[in-house]
Amino acid sequence: MSNQTIDRDAWVTLAAVARLLRHAAVCAWAQAEAEGPRSHLHLLGLGIHTASCKAVAMLPADADLEGQPPAQDDVAHLLRSAEELTRGIPVVDGMAGISPLVVAICDLVRESTP
Amino acid sequence: MNRQDARSVGELLLDADFSTRQVLMDVTGEDAPAMLRTWGEVVQSAVELWATLPPPVGGGASPIDGATMARLESMSRSMHRTQVRQGWPGDGPADERLLHVAETLTRTADLIGRRGGHIRPSDPEVRADLDAARMRIMHTLYVGAHSVGVAAREHVRDVELSTRGKSSRESRGVPRGQDAISRLAAFEQLAGAYVGNRFARAAQGEHVRGPYGTERLQQALIGWDIQAHRTLAATPTAANLLLASRTQAGIATAAGVILHAGARTGHVDTHAYQHRLAPTLDATQQAWTHVAGRWAEMTTPASRTDLDIVQSANELRAAVREISHDKTTWAGPEVMAGRVDLGEAAQHLQQALSSAVDVACVIRDVAAEDKNLTGPARAMSHRANADVDSAVDRGHRGEDVVWVTPGDVYANRTVAIPEPVRAGLVDATDTLVQTASNAMSAAACLDRVTQDRPPGSEQEPTAPRGRRHEGPTPMAQDVSRVARP
Repeated sequence: MSNQTIDRDAWVTLAAVARLLRHAAVCAWAQAEAEGPRSHLHLLGLGIHTASCKAVAMLPADADLEGQPPAQDDVAHLLRSAEELTRGIPVVDGMAGISPLVVAICDLVRESTP
Repeated sequence: MNRQDARSVGELLLDADFSTRQVLMDVTGEDAPAMLRTWGEVVQSAVELWATLPPPVGGGASPIDGATMARLESMSRSMHRTQVRQGWPGDGPADERLLHVAETLTRTADLIGRRGGHIRPSDPEVRADLDAARMRIMHTLYVGAHSVGVAAREHVRDVELSTRGKSSRESRGVPRGQDAISRLAAFEQLAGAYVGNRFARAAQGEHVRGPYGTERLQQALIGWDIQAHRTLAATPTAANLLLASRTQAGIATAAGVILHAGARTGHVDTHAYQHRLAPTLDATQQAWTHVAGRWAEMTTPASRTDLDIVQSANELRAAVREISHDKTTWAGPEVMAGRVDLGEAAQHLQQALSSAVDVACVIRDVAAEDKNLTGPARAMSHRANADVDSAVDRGHRGEDVVWVTPGDVYANRTVAIPEPVRAGLVDATDTLVQTASNAMSAAACLDRVTQDRPPGSEQEPTAPRGRRHEGPTPMAQDVSRVARP
């Protein structure tokens, strides 16, 4: 299945995943800065940010990534929401990269959930 | 098995996929023995389900499709034989979650076997469905192998800590666990190649035995340094500069935590840590974070980051976590010391702190000289006005200048960065270079070569390359006055 034949909804969903991850990284870093330079959240934020970079990289160049950030600022909750959204994305050739992204998000959920 | 289960093949496959994800999100080291006992059953069920899917008419699909599953089955059987030979994990309960995955895959195979006689793979839509089913099966194995591997790694770490200094009989779980980790990594790589379409790279499917501990940290730090320079030389975009700065901040954070553990466990001089290293590391961490915030303002949600630097940052983060983390937060000093030689880790971090000065200089050069720097109009207007207001507060009166046109602000177009924004960036990166140099000089005490050298023969740290580094490094002389955020 090529990029062109993938349902448009899948790209919209992946864009929403990217937005959630970006916001989660911003929230993690904001909390890290409040806690100080030794906060473990600096590295969690880095992991979330790299996951968001991967999600953006999978999207077509004209994908719409603008929009209001979510009101939620609980990092673990945001990550779980992102994982739930990925469930609606097909695992097909044209979405190569979705499996590693899913694994990365699940790893981050585990890292962020006490 | 539920006789009333009326779900379709697609729904059953999704159930198996989501179950493995749930396992991955919740897995711990304590789960490892049960998961290892059950994993073979998951693979066997997937193999049987794969075999029930009608082959493409005329052999249209790549022969590697079948070969991949055959190799995964062979790897799983081989792993099982090793487990039997080693007597580990031995008899015991199965992992109920993985058992559910295996049962779901078996149920799917039954469903196809009973009702799939009418499937005509010559139809393009049916072929697409079959391809999607194969991909979902392989994806489930990929996620599942990763979760069993995570459990095995956590388990080995627990066993290592609890059996340190004990007999080889008591610590034999470590090599057995490492063998399982290695095999699972190979399995994950092969399944990942299928879903990621990267056959060429992973077709070998050998056991993966990457570096571990301080060796992995060293390689990750070197790899990061090389990749950061490459990416920033080729594409010094705000998105790449943001990731570079955040990663360097992460290195400074990790260095602070690992060196603190070293000081607490006798691997690093406590006085040097408290009075020289800790304040300068914290200051450079804050400077990197501040600069990262500046670059972040210049990005948009659609900004793209070079995937090579993303990969390097990921590997670095994983290498640090392997040493410094315990589940969701930092491990205790004794735990870290039980995992690796913290003196050796300190040496690698000392080299990384030297390299950081050069990365800081590169970033300062981009801030000062790159004429292509742009940012979204609203953020640039806001930042320019804030910086000008801040200068006025400090007694510098400025003219009323419109730095970004109202039209650009309204449409939030991408604009060249206004002069006050550049000036702020240059200020921030100047501070960054200074604090990074201070941390480098403070960290010279970690160099075992320097420590072992006779008194009086101490060398200056290697001078970093960069725009303003023709003169002496700014630090060395006075550590106490530089620890500023």
